[in-house]
Amino acid sequence: MAKSRVFSKSVKFLLIAFFAVTVFLPLAAMFSKVKLSAIGGILKNPQFGKTVLNSLSVTLAATVASVLIAYLLALAVNRSRIPCKRLITVLATLPMLIPSISHGLGLTNLFGYNGLFTKLLGVESGLYGFTGILLGSILYSFPVAFLMLSDAMQYVDATPYEAAEVLGVPPVNRFFTVTMYYMKRPLVSAVFAVFTMVFTDYGVPLAVGGRFMTLPVYLYTEVIGLLNFSKGAFIGFILLLPAVITFLLDLRKKESEGLGFATKRLHIKKNRLRDTLLGVFCALVIGFVLLVIGSFAVMTFLTKYPYDLTFTWSHIQTVFSRGMGGYFRNSLIISLPVAAIGTAVGYITAYTTARTKNALVAKVLHLTAIASLAIPGIVLGLGYVICFSDSFLKGTLLILVFVNIIHFFSSPYMMAHNAMKKLNPNFEDVGKTLGIGRVRLLWDVFVPCTLDTIAEMFGYFFVNSMITISAVAFLYSSQTMPLSLMINQMESSMMFEAAAFTSLVILLSNVVAKGIISLVKSYCKRQYAK
Amino acid sequence: MGIKLSIEHLSKSFGGKPVLEDISFAVNDGEFLSILGASGCGKTTLLRILIGIEGFDGGTIYKDGKNISSAHPSDRGMGIVFQNYALFPNMTVLQNVMYALKFDPARREHARDIALDIIEKVGLGEQLNKKPHKLSGGQQQRVAIARTLALSPDIVLFDEPMSALDAANRLTLRREIKDIQSKFGITMIYVTHDQEEAFSMSERIMVMEGGKILQLDTPKEVYHHPANDFVHNFVTVHLEEKIRSIQESTGV
Repeated sequence: MAKSRVFSKSVKFLLIAFFAVTVFLPLAAMFSKVKLSAIGGILKNPQFGKTVLNSLSVTLAATVASVLIAYLLALAVNRSRIPCKRLITVLATLPMLIPSISHGLGLTNLFGYNGLFTKLLGVESGLYGFTGILLGSILYSFPVAFLMLSDAMQYVDATPYEAAEVLGVPPVNRFFTVTMYYMKRPLVSAVFAVFTMVFTDYGVPLAVGGRFMTLPVYLYTEVIGLLNFSKGAFIGFILLLPAVITFLLDLRKKESEGLGFATKRLHIKKNRLRDTLLGVFCALVIGFVLLVIGSFAVMTFLTKYPYDLTFTWSHIQTVFSRGMGGYFRNSLIISLPVAAIGTAVGYITAYTTARTKNALVAKVLHLTAIASLAIPGIVLGLGYVICFSDSFLKGTLLILVFVNIIHFFSSPYMMAHNAMKKLNPNFEDVGKTLGIGRVRLLWDVFVPCTLDTIAEMFGYFFVNSMITISAVAFLYSSQTMPLSLMINQMESSMMFEAAAFTSLVILLSNVVAKGIISLVKSYCKRQYAK
Repeated sequence: MGIKLSIEHLSKSFGGKPVLEDISFAVNDGEFLSILGASGCGKTTLLRILIGIEGFDGGTIYKDGKNISSAHPSDRGMGIVFQNYALFPNMTVLQNVMYALKFDPARREHARDIALDIIEKVGLGEQLNKKPHKLSGGQQQRVAIARTLALSPDIVLFDEPMSALDAANRLTLRREIKDIQSKFGITMIYVTHDQEEAFSMSERIMVMEGGKILQLDTPKEVYHHPANDFVHNFVTVHLEEKIRSIQESTGV
């Protein structure tokens, strides 16, 4: 008894120490850089007010559009009788497998000065600026909202719908009374998630923003270009605001969570018109996604689009001669440990918070774990560079591993937390009465029962570490640069073909990773059903 | 027949609210004792304290004359069957029953034989390699009982084990629990809120309310001589109404 108590206490202590060093310390370091004198200077600059307005306007527009598209897609997948729903989900979430800057790149290929459609239609490109950022941000963020909404729709109970129908409630009222009751929270969550993603992303605006300056690009150029940390820290503080507000709202909401799972699956009636409309919509969205991704292949293998349309390997050779092999290896050396360590830490943290009764430490850990979601990657990276610039971690792969673990910690943590909450609450008590320790039980019962969740966590960490350009942008050295940042470099030196090929390589690695994960998951499911 | 378990002046409160107030009672060796009460009366807390997974504020628990108040749950020679059984979903019937034996140095070697023997005795010989989700509610309950019996406790506690089962199943399972009791000759303490269940299975019934024992007696005594109005209403009136309604509807 005493032994296991000491053990679980030291695990909790270690976790808290871990988060103190990896989350709180860097944030505190960043805040300490904010100087009042610098704030005055920034605020007086008229350019700054414009930048804030730019950021807000494009983020709001992208959020509305993204969530609307996501909602319609979720309807198609969950509330219609169109075929190939699984395929639609896979294709619609492909944009999640490439860096945000690649979306900008894809749009350049299609609608830029020399873009496919610009040339085809013989018009001037109106891409760069608000329009480009809007389109790119939609591509980058709608899949996330789609997954959130689709997941929520899946678990809606059919009984209230049947009751409303029997009572003769008209469809419009049904939407407001029944549908909105279930979907309000997921919608609010999706809106906030998309807003934060777009508001803090510098990849898309860097590629297609033109002179339309946004806050993250401003921070990026101030810090990367001018090494102005105090200015950067203040912008970082502003970027943190919407995420913190989201987090606080989320906290209030979580307290009263409990819609539970569907007691009855919804029966979907035949409706040709509905299915046709939603089917066409899906085809349009997926068509656009595939156009963007397909443009990478076109760029990679054609000599110089649109002037010379002969096939060539030369772009691939260029990329390799610029050290792609090494950067790809860096990406793997970063992403695999992020996935392994992240999954382990996330899982143990989730076990501590989900399976400990009423402990203050568990609550603090839980809040910290979900708070990491509120810290934009670009802000986290800035905190790390300020905090650890004089330490042995500077310029190592290790610091990139840690910043990614924290940056992507929250979602996989919640996956594990929810999975463990669903397991029988009496397992530990049974263990106690049978004389089986908590660690033994964790290994023999919890891990085997949640293998599919573990695989999912691993995949999430891996894929996101492969595509991220945010936190790592401040922390890499020439030795440790990951593949995704190669796109930034090539983009800025107008090597669009090379950047396209690099995007393609990242996409393919992630498709392979996702494929393996889904095989593992279906294997787990079969094993479990035996 | 000696005294197996004796509880003296047990008290427990949650956040200043008393849940058990100065509880004292004794359980005979080989007895089937039901603890009957509405939800929130403290019966489940009492059970959790007896097995040692819940602490308490004051009082002493003796087993076979020995003070076990601070013994580890697995050192008390008791087993417990939870409301939802809490079987390990990733393990087969055999693995569930064998699991704890593998960590017991004295029994490790014969773990498989011991488990097979008990599984046979509770009538699950055919289901050895099935996982819990392939079993009926009643079969799951028997696995849960077998899992506790594997460590050969001399007292088994039940925390409302029938609440997840349908009425038809309950009747058979009551009989089965009694069969298992006589087969293994163990003492059983059975927590329930169901008057019928308590009356049909027990040698003695302990009626609880508000963290106190209202009456501890044979079913016959509790029925005919309820200690106070509460017991009278909770037990006698309830059972009589049930009997009357069956008579009215069937004409029996």
